[in-house]
This record gives sequence, structure tokens and C-alpha cells, in this order.
Amino acid sequence: MFFRKAWPLMAVFISTGVPAADEGWLYYGGDQGGRHYSDASQIDKANVSDLDVAWVHRSGDVKTFGEGMENTSTQSTPILLPEAAGESLVYCTPFNRVIALDPGSGEQRWDFDPKIDRRGTRTFRCRGVSYAEEMSVAPNAQCRHRLYLATHDRRLWAIDARNGEPCRDFGTNGRVEIFGDEGYVPGDISSSSAPTVAGGLVVVGSGVIDFSRSTTPRGTVNAFNSRTGELVWQFDPLRGHRNSGAANVWAPISVDEENGLVFLPTSAPSPDYYGVDRPGDNLYANSIVALDLASGELRWHFQHVRHDLWDYDTPAQPILFEWTKNGESIPALVQVTKQSYVFVFNRLTGEPLWEITEQPVPPSQIPGERASPTQPKPIAPPPLIDSFLMPSDAWGFTPWDRGNCAKQIASLNNLGLFTPTSEKLTLMYPGSLGGANWGGGALLADSGVLLVNINNAAFTGQLIPTPPENSAQARTDHPESGERMQVTMQGTPYNIDIGALMSPLGIPCNPPPWGKLIAVDLFKGTIAWETALGSVHEMGPVTAPFHITWGTPNLGGGVATGGGVFFIGATMDRQIRAFDVDTGDTLWKYTLPNDATATPMTYVYKGRQYVVINAGGHFMFQRGYGDYLYAFALPE
Amino acid sequence: MLKRKTCQLLVPIVLLAFSPLGQAFTLHVKNKMGEPLSQVMVTRTTAAKTKADLSDDGYAPNGVTNSADTTLTRFTDTAGNVRFDDDYGPVQYRARAQGYIDRYVGSGNMPGSIADATGERVVGLILTAMNEQQLIASYPSNVWLSQLSFGGDEELKNHFELNCAFCHQQASPFMRNERTVEQWRSVFERMNSYGAQLPLDEHQKIAELLQSEYRELRENPEVVPQPRPWEGHLSEIEMKEWVIGDGFSQMHDFIIHPNGFVYVGDNLFDRLYEINPETGDYTVYKVPHKPDQKIGGILGNRFVTFPKMYNYLGVHSFAISPRDGNIFITPSMQQELLEFDPKTKQFVTHEMPGGYYPHTIRTDAQDRVWFTLAVSSQVAMFDRVTEEFKLYDLPARSVKEWLILQSLPLIFAFDPENRPRPSPDDVSTGLPMPYGIDVAPDGGVWVTRLYANDIAHIDPETDEVTMIDFPFKGPRRLRIDADGMIWIVAFQDSLLVKYDPGTNLYSSYELPVINEIPYALNVDKDRGVVWVNGNQSDTILSFDIATEKWKVYPMPRQRFFTRDIEVSEEDGAVYTTNSHFPTWQSEGGVPTLLRITPLPEGVAAP
Repeated sequence: MFFRKAWPLMAVFISTGVPAADEGWLYYGGDQGGRHYSDASQIDKANVSDLDVAWVHRSGDVKTFGEGMENTSTQSTPILLPEAAGESLVYCTPFNRVIALDPGSGEQRWDFDPKIDRRGTRTFRCRGVSYAEEMSVAPNAQCRHRLYLATHDRRLWAIDARNGEPCRDFGTNGRVEIFGDEGYVPGDISSSSAPTVAGGLVVVGSGVIDFSRSTTPRGTVNAFNSRTGELVWQFDPLRGHRNSGAANVWAPISVDEENGLVFLPTSAPSPDYYGVDRPGDNLYANSIVALDLASGELRWHFQHVRHDLWDYDTPAQPILFEWTKNGESIPALVQVTKQSYVFVFNRLTGEPLWEITEQPVPPSQIPGERASPTQPKPIAPPPLIDSFLMPSDAWGFTPWDRGNCAKQIASLNNLGLFTPTSEKLTLMYPGSLGGANWGGGALLADSGVLLVNINNAAFTGQLIPTPPENSAQARTDHPESGERMQVTMQGTPYNIDIGALMSPLGIPCNPPPWGKLIAVDLFKGTIAWETALGSVHEMGPVTAPFHITWGTPNLGGGVATGGGVFFIGATMDRQIRAFDVDTGDTLWKYTLPNDATATPMTYVYKGRQYVVINAGGHFMFQRGYGDYLYAFALPE
Repeated sequence: MLKRKTCQLLVPIVLLAFSPLGQAFTLHVKNKMGEPLSQVMVTRTTAAKTKADLSDDGYAPNGVTNSADTTLTRFTDTAGNVRFDDDYGPVQYRARAQGYIDRYVGSGNMPGSIADATGERVVGLILTAMNEQQLIASYPSNVWLSQLSFGGDEELKNHFELNCAFCHQQASPFMRNERTVEQWRSVFERMNSYGAQLPLDEHQKIAELLQSEYRELRENPEVVPQPRPWEGHLSEIEMKEWVIGDGFSQMHDFIIHPNGFVYVGDNLFDRLYEINPETGDYTVYKVPHKPDQKIGGILGNRFVTFPKMYNYLGVHSFAISPRDGNIFITPSMQQELLEFDPKTKQFVTHEMPGGYYPHTIRTDAQDRVWFTLAVSSQVAMFDRVTEEFKLYDLPARSVKEWLILQSLPLIFAFDPENRPRPSPDDVSTGLPMPYGIDVAPDGGVWVTRLYANDIAHIDPETDEVTMIDFPFKGPRRLRIDADGMIWIVAFQDSLLVKYDPGTNLYSSYELPVINEIPYALNVDKDRGVVWVNGNQSDTILSFDIATEKWKVYPMPRQRFFTRDIEVSEEDGAVYTTNSHFPTWQSEGGVPTLLRITPLPEGVAAP
């Protein structure tokens, strides 16, 4: 339900503070448009191999929460506050603790624990916090400089950026409850991405339980007054659809403050794999939705999956950049998707900058299921994954497991991307992991080159006819590494069985690389280069003493720098790597104590460039957990 | 001024309110400048899907009669007018004109109408011109394909078209998408697994060419020629479409029966659709197969990953017995000939003594059944009196080819999964592939060989086989006119070709649309018209033999791929099917039977 309140005059006195510093990192995505780019160039192609650990910080979560860490995913990207706000490096832990550090030493300056409600089985994660300078508050007064945190238990906090104390003038003692009158239901809905702060508003999306029910909570986006916490407007992406829910915005939101636009990446409607009760395209699920920042009114939208039957959420922050081609400059937006497409738009109008074609796709065989006859596909750039997998493509270590994979593939329903899941096992390639995921992409300065990491492991899925009394257990998240899961879709005649397409040896049946880093030239509409991302040397029963660069599933993103280097962790091999942005060559790597399923950031502090990444593991990878924050720099 | 405007608004509303239902009305289509638009294709579709029993895996059970969803298409005249009967239920009209954005209006959003001088309702409809990007994107496959030069290697382009253009359109928007070279190669490998024969040693080169030349066209779309403008004769005809099967079906050949029904074969689901074009009712007859027969028949299943497939036989081509009206059908995946009795609705299977891939079929005046055997390079004759087959071997072109043909029984003795398969080479298969067939007025049987670029004549009296060179590329199907002239489509050469058996001379005729790749044809003997199947241009084409003039008929759906065409002897109505493979890539995602007839009396706009 769309809801709007009067725009408070106060907003005109508020700004998000200083613009993105060229060598700072003021926002989760580097800037408000999520470019994941820094001009910092002290670390460059020539010297990156000299990079070493500058400091290590441990949050203490492992000590505090012990085995509770098994249900966490460490995804936070720190931000660097401006000098007036204390110039701390600030990040959040999976349990939403906010910690401020000395950017040069990693020493802790303060921390804030919102003491979240940890009931329910939903995984704990926090991708970041957001900063704004509240111009209506007197200089040097408490909470002139604010941090905003959206928590697992659906509270929005405003705290003082200099000491971590709650802002008393925001909501009730610094917090606003986002869940409204229906109350907080543990496990149903949470927040994980950093809120978006602009124009005097804090815009907050949500993560909503996947799979389990036909009518999950609505995925309403809320905008609050950044000073008071008063609700200003709401946007329910599924307005008018009764027999569904979610279409929530769990990925980071982008904002074009100059043009008064906020861009929402909306996710799939519920239930994910059965759409009989939600006929039609299901607008505005699976879309990029541009709203008027001040009012929340719809400006334009683009739905990249119609009537989703594959859980193809819009998984990543829309990236805002300048499209310069043939002497023309257009404010643009690029969106990467789970289905491995790259869409580019004029962000003011929604007009595609690469023609979008209507790709005919196969029909569904489920009674009453009206799958969309076409799905949008950009004429360029090309898909980042070749989504067809034929028996002859089967991969294996030996003829035996390769043959087994070929038989498995031959037995699948498989007409490529957008083959609807049926009562027969169906190929899902890419699966719900992507393609691209929440790491999104990094845009290399003004070059139009987008660096994006993707997953390349085939999944399969099958609808299992199920009487209601035999429903499988509800699940709160996606299958873990190597796991097949069967979950209920309450309110439908089916359960869904999903898992990776694996050989008897536990190896993906599709050929490697299973994770890739790709450089996409957005202006030319071509792939400039691609390379395997990750080594499988730790994924077998025994760790190999050398890297086997076949790529791994990966979660998290990267950062591109003015030094011509791209830093990324994300892989299932505990590595952080530096790549040459022009060639894809690996220039440097470092072994961390855990998988770094988070997006790194970089900044220059007191003349020294640092690269910082969280290394805490991801529950889905089942490869251990930790509470490390690593900073790297060149030797002094 | 205000009063005048109010009056202008009220008049049509009042007139509409008192307009009697059940009468014809006129759609007047114009552009934003108020200029009338002629040759606007207006298609009326029933808004609600017809209820149907589709309980047999999504299809009608054997013997059950359903009603097909139906569309009716007419074109505006020079004044921009087109008439329809008044709405009889919830319907939708789609107005489509070259260079304009499709407009949909229906029972719920029909613009207001006024009455003309005769009191008939006139509904005004304004179309918006496409922008440059929309215009070029709307062009059919053939004009884009025409600009692919394959680096100037015409031979390579011909080879590509021969192997890649017999299932689906080649330059539709989703084929023009940017792909990496590896992604193109993956496409070729997949298509070869489905039955294409693109030589392996050409994959890399063609992948690179498609990537670079499509990029070039995207950067310079102005070089893509405009499609042929729709012409005035269209306002004199109407097209009716019946939706049969679903997105997984492939409606291949069909036949018009003297009993008034049209029989269409679903090549992928072994079903025969019996359609009454007067009522739109259809009944499905499931072609029986033996318990030991497998999907894909003796050829093996090439579509293992398809969500559903039921082609134990592969219902391919149809011919009618002049004696009793029984329908003979070639099941291309078995060594059999099918006979269907339209009176009893029973099938009879005639076992063949040999030969592989029964293909196109015709009957002669003596009730003999003739058909090509595409893989074994033979022609079969089934004598209905003796119920015996006679196989005519067509000559091999080389010792290697002869050896391959002789070894076919051995090769087919292997299980399909373990059968040795030679890699496709630059002559595609090593096989000559007899394809089209027809019987001349003098009883002679004529056959085209697609890959051999020759034609064969069989004298049924002497059994003498004569081979004649065909000086063009890709003789796919042929038909014979009332004068005994042999009409042949040259697939890769985009030509209609006439062969005069009396003089042994060929005449060729350029098609009226660029880079069409004609699959088949038929001759309206009574009216002296050759009808040519289009598959890349969303058109079918007619050629008046006497005047040598063409007419072009745009199809009401994009990605309309036709393989067969039939003419009703009774009234000259022309039928074709939308046989794009896969069907779900066609606009609307469903296969249809389409009929073109002259506009009914009294329907032409006044």
C-alpha cells in the first residue's frame, strides 16, 4: 500500500554531509550510486605485490556468541567518517554491533550494541551503516553527525557518529520500530543492508523469509525523517496483489540526490517457485523502481523478470554513472542480475541505453501456471553466463563422474534460462545464487568498464506435489554448500526441492570456472575479459598445497581503484586478491583466517592507502566463522 | 466554444448508446496528424481463453472435441477503414502498422465512436509512430539477415542458412543479442545435438563472424533495409487463425480434406488435429505406436532435455487417397507408413521393408502412394492394391556416399545412444537427402534432393530413374502445375525456380522480399498461382504464373515460420501453419493454423 506523508520542511536543512571524498569511503558502495570505486592510487599495479597487513581488528563476536556464529554471515563494508564526524572507520558485525576504529591503527574507539532480538532461525548479517550530517542540529552538538543502522530485528537506529550514543531526538531514544502494528515476528523479516540516507530521509528496505509461504510479509520500503524518525512515505512494490507478498528490497538502495531519485532493487514475489495464485507480471517485483526521493511517488520502473518462478531477485545495488558515448553524456544506471544480464538505463527516464529485447521463453507445465511468454534481455552486453547446459557439456574428474553428470543433465527439463520448474527435475542455471549477487559490480572511474564477480554453478529444482499435512519444514534461507533442500511453500500444492547439480564426487556437473570475475565494457556492450575467481584447493577432502584456479562460488563484491587494481575476497578459499583491471591478471593475494564474504573498501588516511575487508565466513559456505577485520597497506 | 466541444463529445456517446448491436462497425485508423493509415493489420482476438479439455499432458485427449481460440485479421483500406462485426463478447483488437507502435483496444477501452452517414458506428484509432530504435528493432529477421555478409564468403553464408535456418528465424531480436564467441560456439554445439549439421570446422569462424557482423549492424542500424511495405491488395482479404497445441508442439505439414476438415500433424507429439474451419472445433487423434518403440523412434531422441516430447513416430507429411479419402502420413522416425481413415478415425500401420526417414508424401491418380526417404536416398511407392512397397534407389554421387548409404542398415542396427555418428563436414551430411516430391499430370514422379542440388524423375511405368542437375542451391520442396511445369524453391538461393521438362530449361524468379529462405510451395492449379512459404520475413508469397507478378502477405504474428501451404480447390482459400521450432519463440508462443480468404461479401469498408 502506497503511503505518503507531508514532506517536512526540515529536510531542506539536512544534507548527507560532505560529498564522497575521492580517496575516502563515506558510503557502503563508495558513493551514493554504489560505484565501488576509489581514486586512491598509492597502491598500483606495480607495487600491489608489496601489500602487507597493516592491522587486524577482532570484533569479539566469536568470544561473545560462540556457536551462535554458525548462523552468521559476515558481510559488512566499513565506511570512513569525515574529520568533523570523528574520522573513524565504522562497521557493523552480524549481530548489528557498530564498532568505530582508528583508521590508521585499527584500535577500537567505541562500540554500540543494539542488543537485538536474536530469536528465530534467520541468519544474522549486517552489510553496513550509513552516515549523514544533520544540518538542523547545532555544530558540535550531540548527533549533529549521525550513523544509521537497520537491524536484524527491524529497528532503525540513529547514533552519534563520534561516540556511538543513541540520538534521543530520533524515534524513541534513538530507535524506530519498522515492523509497525503487526509486531516483530522473529524469522520473518529483517534488515541487513545499510540504510540509504539522502534529502533528509532514511530509506530502509528489508529481507523477508524466502520460499516458505505463499503470502509472506509485504516488502514495503519505508522512508523516515532523518532527524526525528517520523515515517514520511512507504512504497509497497506489490500494490494490488493480494495472494502474494515480499518483493522486498534487501539489496542496497541507490540515490541520485541531485535529481531527487531513489532506486530500489526489488526482489521476487512469494512464493518463489509457484505463481498460480499471483497471475500476471507481478509488478513491481523483480524490478528496478525509481521513486521520487521526496514523496516516494513512482517515476519509472523496469521489471527484468516477469512473473518470477526462479527466485531471481534484483540482488545488487543499482550503480549510477555517467554514460558517455558518441560525445553524449547521459546520467545512467547499470543493474546486474542473478540471471547474469547487465541492463543499462538512462536513470532519469528509464529508457534503456542498450535495446532490451523480448526473449521468448518456454511455457510452464504446472496446471494453471501462466508463465510469462517472454522475458526481457538486453541486446548487449552479452549474458555473463551461457545458461544452456547440455549432456555433452558435463564435467568430471573421471569418465565415470563425467558420465554420471551427463546422464543427470540429460534427464533434466532444460530449455535454458527461464525454463519453469515443474514436477520433473529442472535445470536452474543460473540458480538463485546468481549470476551476480549482492556484491554487485565496481565501475572503473569514467571508463564504462564494469567489474563484476559471478557464480557459475548449476542448480536443479523440482516441484514435489505435497498434501498440506506433509509439508516439509520451513526454511529461512538458501541451500548450504552442497546441500539439497526441500522446503514447504505453504498455501500451494507443492514443496520445492532445490540443490546444486553435483556429481557423485560432490563436484559441480557444469564445467569450471565455478566463479568468475568479468570486465564488461558498458559503452561497447562487450566483455573485455574474464577470469576464474577463486581456487578449489581447500574444497576437497584434503587441502591441496597449491592453488587450483577453477573458480569457486562467491559472495561479496570488489573495489576498483585509481591505481588500476581491483580488490576482491568473496571466494571459498580465504583469499583476498588484487587483479589488474586491464587484463584480469592476478597481481597479489593473501590468505585470511576465514572466507571474506564481504566487499572490501579502501581509503587514504594520513597519506597512507589502506584496503580493508571483513573476514568472518558465510553460513552458506559452511567453512567456519570468525570476527576479523583486516587492513592492508604498503610498507611504511 | 465550450458548448461546441461539449456537443462534439456528447454526440458520439449518444450515438453509441443508441447504436444497435449485432451490426458491423468500422475502425478508422489514423496517425497523430489525423492522416488515415492504410494497410494497418487489425487482429481481433477473443479476450477470454476458450475452455478446453486438455487433460492429456496439456493436450486434448484422443477423440475429444474442443473449440480453438480464434483470431481474425483484416487490413485497413486506403481511407484507413476496416470493418468488423460488432463485438459478440470480450474481444481485443490489435492494430499493427509498419513504423507504428502496436495499439491494443478491447471491450474495456474502446475509444468512443460516432455514426457515419449510414448510421454505422465508426471508431477512431490513433497510432503513434515508432522512434528510430523501435522502428529498426521491429524489422523482421530477413532484412537483418540480408546484411550479414559472412566476411564476403557467400558460400559460407549459404551453408549457415542451409544448416541453421530450417527450424527457426535467424536474425530475430534474440538471435541478434551480443554473444561471446564461446557462447556462439555453445549455441552451434547445442543445435547440432538437436539435428543441425553445421560443420565443426566452421564453428569458430562463423561464431566470430556473427559476433562482429551483428555488432557492426547494432552500431550502424541505418544500413538495415526497410522491409517491403505492405500493399493495397491486403484490404481485400482476411486471415483467420486457430490456436492448436501448445508452446511445445510443432505443427508441421497438413492437408485439406474433401470432407471439409483440415488435418494438421503435431510433429513432436504424434497427434493429428482434425479442424473444422467453419466452427473452429477440433478433435485430436493420438497416433498409436508399438510398445517397443521409443521416443525419437529409430533415429533416437535428440531432445532429451526438453520438458516434454511424445514423438515415437514423428508425424510429418500428408496425402489423400483419391479413391477413398484415407489420409497417408509419413512417420519420419519409423520404417512405416501410416494410414488414417477419416470416417472411422482409425489408424493402420504399414510396415516398410527398408528405407530411412519417410518424408514428403503424395498420391497419384492410380491411388499409389509416393514418398521420399530422406536419409536412405530413396523414393518409396506403396501400392494400395497389393499393399506392397517398391523402393527406388537414387544414385549416390560418390563411392563414399554409396558406401555410407549401403551401411545404413548396419548403422541403424546400433542402439541410437551408441550409434556411430560422423562429424558433420562441409557437405553437411554426406547424404543427398531426397526431400520434396510431386506427381505430374502425366503420372511421372519428380523429386528434389536438398543437399545434392539435383532433381530426379521416376517413370512409374518403366521404373526408370533420371537425375537432372539443379543449377541453384537447396532444392527443398517442389510442386507441379496444371501444365506439368515443375516449381521448386531454392532454399539458400532465395529463389522460386521453374523447370520445364519439355525443354529441360530452368527459369528463376527473385522473391519479392529480401533474403527469404523459402521452405516449400504449392500451386493453385485452377487459378495459376504459386504460393511460396516464407519463414524469415513473417510473410507468405504468391506468384501469378501468367503475369509473373508477386503479392506479399504479412503474417499476423512475428516469427511466423511456415513449412507447408495448401490451397482449397473448392474456394481457393489458402492455408498454412505457424511451424517455428521451437514454437514458444513465436509471438504468442502457440502454434496456429492460418487461412487466407477474400474478404466476405459486404465486409469491405463502404
